[in-house]
Amino acid sequence: MAKTNIHSEINGSVWKIMIKVGETVKEDDTLAIVESMKMEIPVLSTCDGLVGEIFVVEGQPIAEGEPIMSIDH
Amino acid sequence: MAFDQMLNELSSFKEKALGMGGPDKLAKRKADNHLNARERLVALLDEGSFVESGLFSTSHRAEVRERSPADGKITGFGKVDGRRVAVISNDFTVLGASSSMVNGKKIRHIKDVAAKAGMPLILLGESTGARMPDRMGAEGRAMLGQDPYEYRRLRESPWVSALLGACYGSSTWYAALSDFVVMRKGATMAVASGRVTSVAIRQSIDSEELGGWKMHAEVSGLVDAVVDSDEEAIALTKKWLSYMPSHHNESPPVHAVPAGSEGRGDHILELMPEDKAKVYDVRKIVETIVDLDSMMELKPRFGRSMCTAFARIDGRSVGVIANNPLFKGGAIDVDACNKVLGFLVLCDSFNIPLVFMVDQPGFLIGVDGERKAAPGRIMNWMSALSLVTVPKICLIMRKSYGQAYLNMGGGRNSDEVVCWPTADLGFMAPQVGVNILFGVKEDEDPERFRKLVDELSKDTSAWRLASLYETQDVIDPRETRGCLSRLLEIHRTRLGSGVGKHLLANWPTTF
Repeated sequence: MAKTNIHSEINGSVWKIMIKVGETVKEDDTLAIVESMKMEIPVLSTCDGLVGEIFVVEGQPIAEGEPIMSIDH
Repeated sequence: MAFDQMLNELSSFKEKALGMGGPDKLAKRKADNHLNARERLVALLDEGSFVESGLFSTSHRAEVRERSPADGKITGFGKVDGRRVAVISNDFTVLGASSSMVNGKKIRHIKDVAAKAGMPLILLGESTGARMPDRMGAEGRAMLGQDPYEYRRLRESPWVSALLGACYGSSTWYAALSDFVVMRKGATMAVASGRVTSVAIRQSIDSEELGGWKMHAEVSGLVDAVVDSDEEAIALTKKWLSYMPSHHNESPPVHAVPAGSEGRGDHILELMPEDKAKVYDVRKIVETIVDLDSMMELKPRFGRSMCTAFARIDGRSVGVIANNPLFKGGAIDVDACNKVLGFLVLCDSFNIPLVFMVDQPGFLIGVDGERKAAPGRIMNWMSALSLVTVPKICLIMRKSYGQAYLNMGGGRNSDEVVCWPTADLGFMAPQVGVNILFGVKEDEDPERFRKLVDELSKDTSAWRLASLYETQDVIDPRETRGCLSRLLEIHRTRLGSGVGKHLLANWPTTF
């Protein structure tokens, strides 16, 4: 079983977490929405799998490259 | 018959040369589902069009002469969809298609003819690199460097590299110099192989990590497209060539406009969100504007906040440079800068007009970009833009802030600017501006903040830009296709009959 971390691609804040731990996701599914530059920017899954761990909470600031969640596959 | 012996000998030598590395090696390739070098040429070229150059060439070394048919690289000329091309197909079954003196001469000749006679060069890559012992010692060095222009790229004609296996040495170098690089999953490209690297640095290196498709498509950006098979690579090569002229002194070919290309403008208003905070995938909008199914995105996994794509409008090739808000809100990072720069050079060198589609909040700021020399990349882009002589049409769809307003064709950096009524022009997002200019934060004094935002938001509209004649029109988004078609037609021919001045012809191939 491999684990892939999904990172934020930009600085901003975590606005919405769209999935739950254990949920099945596919590549390009929207996992979360980051607010940055007054825009709602989706964080997309880079692989198929199951949501493993969520490292953030809604409302917290997030940096470019910081992991948001892990996907088990 | 007279000359029986001579004719039999000719026939026998021919059969031997065409036998490549021998039946065992060829059978193994077939079992692994890999095309061999000659099968690749059959798949690529129009039937019966291949004119081989150097069938009877071999290694110059006596001890391997008998087992080096075509010296491991099959070269010549043929046709793709009726247009003349030059080809180099690496034969991995012969000494790993390694490079040496004779096949070096073959490459040189094919390149020279492609440039002189004006035809695309297609390199089917799979090679182990330098041949041993040929390249060893001073004698090995003495064989090299006989052509000071070996790696000079003047863009007389388009070059395509297909990476179809382990690609070291010439397959890698020519890919770096090529205009279009398509890589098959499982193929690898690097300065040295994983094995050589592991030995040299005494650390185990995974070949995929060193030079696999994912790394090249997403991180190095050296690869334009990724495919699953040789056949797909060849199909994509032909597709890419269909947008290109045969050489730099002609316009690209005109294709038929597919039925159903018109009348899709209403979709634009469905795809573009009314809420300015929402993002969208600009590629879907591009698809509704250009000829049906004519869009071919290049480097889709690299610098994703920018979309660079070939497409056709009225059957004629265009190069689309579109900010994609789906990724990073459309903010332009260093990878996106490099991607655009390469695309500007490509389109300008081969007489393909450019269409900028703008919705960007500025360059992505931050430490990461600065460490990658962002100001240098931004200025490279401006410099290249000023050297472009093909038509440049700029469509401002939504935001265009900061310096990037210029990089994306604002003002006189393009030939015509048109806006949608949703265009939003300014220095930076008003909400950030209030913070910077007045020191007022939204959560500390929301009412004053709102008032100042309103003030800074005044006069950011397309109408103000139009009244100052900085945009030549404000259009209904649904009419974008027609508008672009007319502007492209007005600028198409120019005094060079659609052929540009090619001031970017010797711009570096990687930045």
